[in-house]
Amino acid sequence: MDRREFLKTGGLFLVGTPCVYGLMAMAAPRPHEAGATDARRWGMVIDLNRCPADCSACLEACRRENNVAVHGDRRWDIHWIRKVTIRKKHEADAPTRTLPLLCNHCDHPPCAQVCPVQATYKRADGIVIVDHHRCIGCRYCLIACPYNARYFNYRENDEWPNKAYPKRSHGVAESCNFCAHRLDQGRPPACVEACRDSGAGALKVGDLDDPDSEISRLIADNSVKRIREDLGTEPKVYYIGL
Amino acid sequence: MVAIPLLIIVVPVGYSIYTFVLARDAREAGPFLELPAAPHEGCVRETEFMRYHHWELLRQVRDEVVRGGVRGEISLDRCRECHPNRDRFCNRCHTAVSLQPDCFGCHYYPASPAADAAGESRAEEGVREAWTDGSS
Repeated sequence: MDRREFLKTGGLFLVGTPCVYGLMAMAAPRPHEAGATDARRWGMVIDLNRCPADCSACLEACRRENNVAVHGDRRWDIHWIRKVTIRKKHEADAPTRTLPLLCNHCDHPPCAQVCPVQATYKRADGIVIVDHHRCIGCRYCLIACPYNARYFNYRENDEWPNKAYPKRSHGVAESCNFCAHRLDQGRPPACVEACRDSGAGALKVGDLDDPDSEISRLIADNSVKRIREDLGTEPKVYYIGL
Repeated sequence: MVAIPLLIIVVPVGYSIYTFVLARDAREAGPFLELPAAPHEGCVRETEFMRYHHWELLRQVRDEVVRGGVRGEISLDRCRECHPNRDRFCNRCHTAVSLQPDCFGCHYYPASPAADAAGESRAEEGVREAWTDGSS
């Protein structure tokens, strides 16, 4: 092999090796590309006409699934979903209604905007979620949320019904996350499942961007309201019959 | 002046005997870590990597799961399959180097299989006592 031949072969190897490795790296499976993407935008529709006043199946299912703390003291109790009773104040004998309230997963979430450490943030699929590892417990989000959907762990929670899902320790804020761990696995949130199993079927979750999804059709076919739309937070929980 | 050579001999020898006696408990306690019966069959990474970098791997996976919604195959539940006894595996080293990872206050990983059977939810009792007034 003469000098010219040697340099040509050597140069080919020098340039070729990184190219081969680069191609191998590109061909390898990329787990990072899975997960939450903006292909979907999760939302919820609550049909109050089908929600019985004395039913609390969704609340109990949520507590069991997500290890939500119940201390039996309203100062420290945490509700990811709760039921409130409303009545028109200016009418003497107006009927009362109950409605489930939960995190509205706003498109412009005030809680995420005020979070100083970006522990609360909006995922690509629209779910507003708290990274409890990062939360410093400053409680700005509790103040910012116009729906009072956020709660703070003022004390340690001893109950741990669902061992497969982590609980939260003392000193972090939390709220409903649409059971993101279940949605990622293709299962409906615990409250939606419990509502369906109880026969009421008032809670529905689905993709708001897909015009053919069940909730998109419900929104199109019914008169829907969102709570405090005037605030511009663009909540993604729609109520029928509010 | 016989005292100085005597000191030079007595002090090191005496100290050796003293520490030997002190370390007796540690010697009789058996191996430092309780290793799994089968050697790392099906572990997500090789033993050497896990020994020195398991916490980096767990942190990376944590961020992928929480921030990105990527639910992969690596999880603390998977660790429990081979290392069911946290007291005799994880905590031995963590205690020795004075580390207090707070993973297990929220993620279920019982201190021992017996604690798991008893339904013990919170192994870090000391941590909990420090955080609450203990009345809950």
